[in-house]
Amino acid sequence: MNPSALLYLGITFGLFVIFALIVLRTYKHKNKERGEAPKFSMLDDE
Amino acid sequence: MEKPEYNQAIVRSFVNWSIVWGLVAVLVGVIVSFQMIYPDLNFPPYLTFGRLRPLHTNAGIYGWGVGTIFALFLYIVQRLCKTGLWSNKLASFQLWFFNATIIAAAVTLLLGYTTSKEYHELEWPIDVMVVVLWVAFAINIIMTIIKRKEEQMYISLWYMMAAIVGVAILYLVNAAAVPVSLFKSYSAYAGTNDANVHWWFGHNAVAMALTAPPLAMFYYFLPKSTGVPIYSHRLSIISFWSLIFMYLWTGAHHLLWTPVPDWIQTLAMAFSVMLIAPSWGSVINGYLSMNGQWQQMKENYLVKFLILGITFYGLQTLQGPMQAIRTFSAFIHYTDWIPGHIHMGTLGWVSLIAFAGIYFLVPRIYGREVYSIPLANLHFWLVVVGQLIYSVSLWVAGVMQAGMWNAVNADGSLTYTFMETMVEMYPYWWARAVGGVIYLAGVLVFIYNIWMSVRKGQPATATATATAAAGSAGRA
Repeated sequence: MNPSALLYLGITFGLFVIFALIVLRTYKHKNKERGEAPKFSMLDDE
Repeated sequence: MEKPEYNQAIVRSFVNWSIVWGLVAVLVGVIVSFQMIYPDLNFPPYLTFGRLRPLHTNAGIYGWGVGTIFALFLYIVQRLCKTGLWSNKLASFQLWFFNATIIAAAVTLLLGYTTSKEYHELEWPIDVMVVVLWVAFAINIIMTIIKRKEEQMYISLWYMMAAIVGVAILYLVNAAAVPVSLFKSYSAYAGTNDANVHWWFGHNAVAMALTAPPLAMFYYFLPKSTGVPIYSHRLSIISFWSLIFMYLWTGAHHLLWTPVPDWIQTLAMAFSVMLIAPSWGSVINGYLSMNGQWQQMKENYLVKFLILGITFYGLQTLQGPMQAIRTFSAFIHYTDWIPGHIHMGTLGWVSLIAFAGIYFLVPRIYGREVYSIPLANLHFWLVVVGQLIYSVSLWVAGVMQAGMWNAVNADGSLTYTFMETMVEMYPYWWARAVGGVIYLAGVLVFIYNIWMSVRKGQPATATATATAAAGSAGRA
């Protein structure tokens, strides 16, 4: 593998890791209430 | 808490102008569909298919599509942030510059000035206008989000920010060109690089202008119309981020079987198929939000528009990945199947959501109730039936066209000449034109209903301006 291919692979893997962290954070049990709160507050009086 | 001062006037103006450009887009679309059947309807040099077709697509995408994005985003951002716009003056500038840009685009396209890049035909001076327009819009939306009174951001705001950043990057990169005169430029890229960059732009313009914004609107107007929150905000967040991660890799599926490197094509194909997951994450979230509320499909015309809209999105995001697979692409690419696919997205998904959004806004921005709910229902059925006739006839036409192009005799020669395949298309082109006329009739009913709402609609009740009672909005 040449350096540009390694860089390409590294960026792809890095993005995947970031995405996995977002999923973990979003679905962490502790964050459930906070994560769902905006769907109720958006229904507030305009 | 002190009630924020919302800028309703700018929303109203953008709604009015986007409707004007939407009518132009559909009208010109119907004209070019008849030009396919009657070539004598081409009046050179200005009113030929070659010049009117880009006028149709530009008026549709940038006039109606982006116009409703401006209108509905400027409305939604104020409500979700519980604050007025960062700058009302900048919004007014944006309104008039938007119309100046669309007019400049229409005039230059009819005069024959074009880069020849599909969906990015505008020559460099108008590109500059588009960039100024988008920067003005972006600054106002982002600054309004920054000064918001709500700590947490609802999913619609995420989609709005993605659309703003995404369109800016795509447009700037693809617009890179070397001007040689006031209305002529050459792309900064050459050969397959040019094609690759262009379809990276082309497909992601669909993502950032025709997917993210309608999703922002859908997530806002569905709960506001039903009075019930979406099923899962966390699911919407995951769908959002996976959509953002996957979409930008898919552009090269427009270039399958071309000299673009094979690995790029395979990458685009794989990511296109993976894209089903985030797309259907939003579709399923929409359907599950209707749990216990399905009777509203009968009672609430807004819900009909929204749920049919998300259904067309679901179908579109299954058909799209299927088309991105090499073997299927080899069969249907370059046939009439493709405009059938595109119009399910634009007429079905994007426009149904925009219509629902505008109906929802009528009492809130004009101070009048919608004039006639039966007319709104008629509008719904005309546009749905018109769109289905349009798309289904072209899918059938595309399969037939592909079959004829691929038919070979025992000695390996082609069974049909190209002209023979064209002659067979006429019944389907007629069906397309009829579908277009029905859709146009639906749009005219919509405009009449809005016009009459403003002139003779009942004064809006408190329920129209109080979201607490949003559940009753649109009940038939």
